Order: sequence, then structure tokens, then C-alpha cells
Amino acid sequence: MGFADHYPALIVVVLFAAAFLSPLIYRWAEKAAAPVVITALMLALFMSSSLMITVQQSGPVFYHMGGWPPPWGIEFKVDPMRAFILLIMIGVSLWIFIYAVRDLEHELKKEVIGWYYTLYALLVGSMAGIALTNDLFNLFVLMEICAISACAIISIKEDRECLEASFKYLILSAMGTGCFLLGVAMLYMATGYLNYGLLQLELAETLTLYPRNIFAAAALFIAAFGTKAALFPLHVWLPDAHASAPSPSSAMLSGLVIKIYAFALFLIFYQVFPRELLDLIPLNEIILWLASLGVMFGSVYAMLQTDLKKMLAYSSIGQIGYIFMGIGFDHNLALVGGFYHIMVHAVTKALLFMTAGTIIYATGVRQIKDLAGIGRALPLTMLAFTIGSASMIGIPGTGGLISKWYLALSALEIGRPFFVLIILASSLLNAIYYMPIVISAFMHQEDFQFETKPVPRFMLTTMVVGMVFIVLSGFFSRPVVSMLEQAANYFF
Amino acid sequence: MEILSSIARNYYYMVAIILFVIGTFIMLTHANMIKKVIAMNIMDASVFLLFVAIGYAYGGEAPIIREGSDVVYVNPLPGALILTGIVVAVSVTAYALSLIVKIYRYYGTCDYDEICEIRSQE
Repeated sequence: MGFADHYPALIVVVLFAAAFLSPLIYRWAEKAAAPVVITALMLALFMSSSLMITVQQSGPVFYHMGGWPPPWGIEFKVDPMRAFILLIMIGVSLWIFIYAVRDLEHELKKEVIGWYYTLYALLVGSMAGIALTNDLFNLFVLMEICAISACAIISIKEDRECLEASFKYLILSAMGTGCFLLGVAMLYMATGYLNYGLLQLELAETLTLYPRNIFAAAALFIAAFGTKAALFPLHVWLPDAHASAPSPSSAMLSGLVIKIYAFALFLIFYQVFPRELLDLIPLNEIILWLASLGVMFGSVYAMLQTDLKKMLAYSSIGQIGYIFMGIGFDHNLALVGGFYHIMVHAVTKALLFMTAGTIIYATGVRQIKDLAGIGRALPLTMLAFTIGSASMIGIPGTGGLISKWYLALSALEIGRPFFVLIILASSLLNAIYYMPIVISAFMHQEDFQFETKPVPRFMLTTMVVGMVFIVLSGFFSRPVVSMLEQAANYFF
Repeated sequence: MEILSSIARNYYYMVAIILFVIGTFIMLTHANMIKKVIAMNIMDASVFLLFVAIGYAYGGEAPIIREGSDVVYVNPLPGALILTGIVVAVSVTAYALSLIVKIYRYYGTCDYDEICEIRSQE
């Protein structure tokens, strides 16, 4: 076995190692801690891109932990879809981290910043693990690491709202993992396996013997991942948690963490449950309707908000709906749309939270009505906000259009034009709450009435990178889309 | 009658599910945060019980292989998994309790309803 064969495991190992080293380094050499984490993220990015290339050339890669093949050992699997998600998770978190290094200085107490790096690296490592693992119990452990570190990057700010929000998040997410583990127990009871591939083979046979077990497991998985990914009626924890967190944490949570759970649910539906189960009970239909409700209600709630970050948080509930729609349509074009949206929304929502963070950094303003005329004080930041909003609405030339286009296309293809209406209506709703902010920021007659601090060049540069990415993803979507089309065919 | 006897044979599954429902219900409805954390542990424990019960074989022995004996062994895998699960549950509990301590310092109460009242008065 060459060194490159160990990349799937090393990605997780490198990030976890950085997590444990960073507080030590921060203690002795404060300046060196952030570069260590950035190096670890870059190494992980390099390894995941090299995995992506291998997978594109020679098909799925399997990695057995410690050389033990399943059913004894834990297995990691890399197929094109997982490699794509892995690349997004690590790439976007590297980008957010570079922003975070400057922004955290004023949002957190100095002595906890080293610990923040720990939590951040743990979070990224566990998300990479969730994308790679091929074992249900390993998924449970990684989900718990992800949940604790996600709660902790909220509560690390230690003001009242953050503590309450992260407690609420922790309890609901513990309920989610409880449901998930019960579902795993049900499947283990029926088959005796935990490996995805072996489960799928075995479940096809046991489906007729123990249908109740498997139905119960499916229901529990929807409840578990629905809670964690903020699928519509289970979203109650999200607005407080994402709005009160420090801005880099919000970008991370809204941009990446909720999506990795949607992806885990997708993997379980297509790589654990056999196709016959999806024909037997309308799992896809349930997800599709909940997603449509979420798309509408998330936007309606967002309209009612007066706080900028809360509005962005509610908008995430709507946007995660598109991703679940992509899973729910059960069609390969829809998968392309849904996964393209994972990429676009990860960047867009992170960019919007970064602009919100920059606005708070520079002026301390959080209320939407106070933003009038801010375009003159912070032109580049508000330009980033404008491009981000355009992508949320789906204006041509931004990545948001491409994903909605493919979703609508697949809705027509399977003969359900009603969902095209839902996508259109929700885009209009998005426009209703994003556009007034942009218009009043640039067109307002009087000057901005708050004092403005200069914004560090570092933060501005990261925002420019995000803007460029969104525009590029709108104009040059072909390579990614054709790659996703191939990856989606793998599942049908 | 058949259903009753199969319930009697597999009563530990029923106990696990009843505990799970108790845990979930208390976790979602009680306002006291400490009780929520206790309920979370009850819920986790119920799943652990179910998992261990799956691995048990009637009259089974500890899975240590001895030459020349053909006794039935208990499945060791669920036990190993649940050991990990317990560690995870303990760390989540510790984190949740530390959050409660911090919240208590701000509000002087562990009751969610009282906290909401205090916040609405401000």
C-alpha cells in the first residue's frame, strides 16, 4: 500500500491532530496557532482533491481501517459524490477560517481563541468523516463529535443568548442522535450488519421478513436527520443558534454543518436502504413535501425578522429545503440541482454571514432598519451582500440560478409542474426580503448614521474571493454539472 | 395470545421502547434543564439496553474461545459498540451540565419558563 492509499483516513487524522495541537501552540506561540490549522486544512484539501482525481479516473475507493475488512472493521468509501462533498466541506471551511482569524479577535476573549481553533478543526474533521464513512456506528460517533463541537463554537462566546441557544441545540440534537441510534439498533436487529454495502444487500432480503423494523428505522432516520439538518417542522433550534453565534461560527453552521446531515440522510436512503423500500413506502414523497413547506415558510419567517443575522438564519431553513427537494424528487437531474445547491449555498450563506459579521465589526449595527445608507460607508461589503442576495434569489449570472434551474427541470421531467411553482414562488419571497436591504443600503438619501471603523484588508479579500466564486459558478457551471451528472448516475 | 407470549419472551425490547418514549417526552416537555439532561440519559440508556439485548443469546457465555468446547457465545459486537456509546453520552452530559452552570450564573434558575419570564421583563 502506498502512502496515497491512506488519504481517506489521513484527512480525518490530520484535522484531529491539528485540533489537539492548536491550544498548546496557542499557549506558547500565539501567532503560530492559526497557521498550523490553516496548514492542516490545506493538507486535507490537497488530499481530498487528489482523491477526487483518483475517483474520477478509476471509480470508488474503499479504505479499511487497520486492514480489517468489513464486517469486522470500519470502512471508508470515496465515490464521486462523496469526494465532491468532501472537497466543498474542506475548501469552504478553509476559506471561512481565514476570515475567522481576524474576526474572532474582537468577538471572543483572547484566552479562548486557541480552543476555538480546536473546536473548528474537530468540526471540519468530523464532517469530513461523515462524508467518508461507510459504517453506521462510525457515523454515530462522528455525528456526536460534530454535534458537540458545533454547539461549542456557539457557546464559546459565553453571553446569555449563545448559552441558551446552544443548550437548545444540544438537547434537540441529542434527541436526533438518540433516534438515529435506535434506528441503527433496528437495522442491526434485522440484519446483523453495520456496513452500508452489506446492509443494502442484506436488507433487500430481510425486507419481507421484518418490514416493521425497517419501516421504523426509516422513520427514525427521517426524524433524526431532519432535526439535525433543520428540515421544516424540526427547525426550531436553528434561528437562535445561528443568529447568536460569533459570525464565523454562523457561517460554518449555516453554510456547512446542516448540509452534511442532509448528505448523510441521502447516503442512507440510496446506499443503505434497498430500492424496493423506497417503492414500498413513500419516503421521498415525505421529504419532498416537508422540503416544499420549508422553502415557503422559511422565507415567510425570514420576512418578519428585524435582526439581520436572524433573517439570514431563517433564510437557511428555506434554502436547506431546496437541497432536500433535490433528494426528494428521486431523479438524477434533481440530484444535480440539489448538490449544486449544496456548493452554491455553502459559499453564499457563508459570504452573507461574513458580510453581517463585517458590518457588526465595523459599525456594531444588527438591526435591518439601521442599515439604510450603509452602502456609502462600506461599499465593498455591501457589494458582497448584493451578490450574495442575488444568488439567494437566483438572478442569472449567479450560482443560485443553476441549482434552481436543474430542480425545476427535473420537476417538469417527472411531470410535477406544481413544484416549479413552489420554486418560483419561494424565489420571489427571497427577493422580497433580500432586495429592500440592498436597495436601502445604496439608494438611501441621507448618510449612514453610525460611526464606521476601517475593515481589515484580510476580511475584505476573503469576501472578494467569495463574490468571484459565486459569479464564476453562475457562468461556468458546465464542468461541475457534468461531473455531478456522472456522479448522480452512479446512484440510479 | 400469540402476541402476548411473544411480548413476554421479548420483554426487554418493550422496556427499552418504553424508556425511550419516557426520555423523549420529558426531554421535550419539561422546563427544568437538569431534568432534560436526565431524560437525555434515560433515552440513551434505553437504546443501549436495546442494543445489548439484541446481542444476547439464551444460555450464552462470554465470547472467549476455548479449544474443544461448543457452547453458545453472546455476540460481543453490541457490547463493544455500547461502550463507545456510553463514553459519547457521558461527554454530551458533561457539556450540557457545564452549559447549565453558566446559564444558572446569569439567571439564578434552571427553569426554562422562568428564564423566558426574566427575559421578557427586560
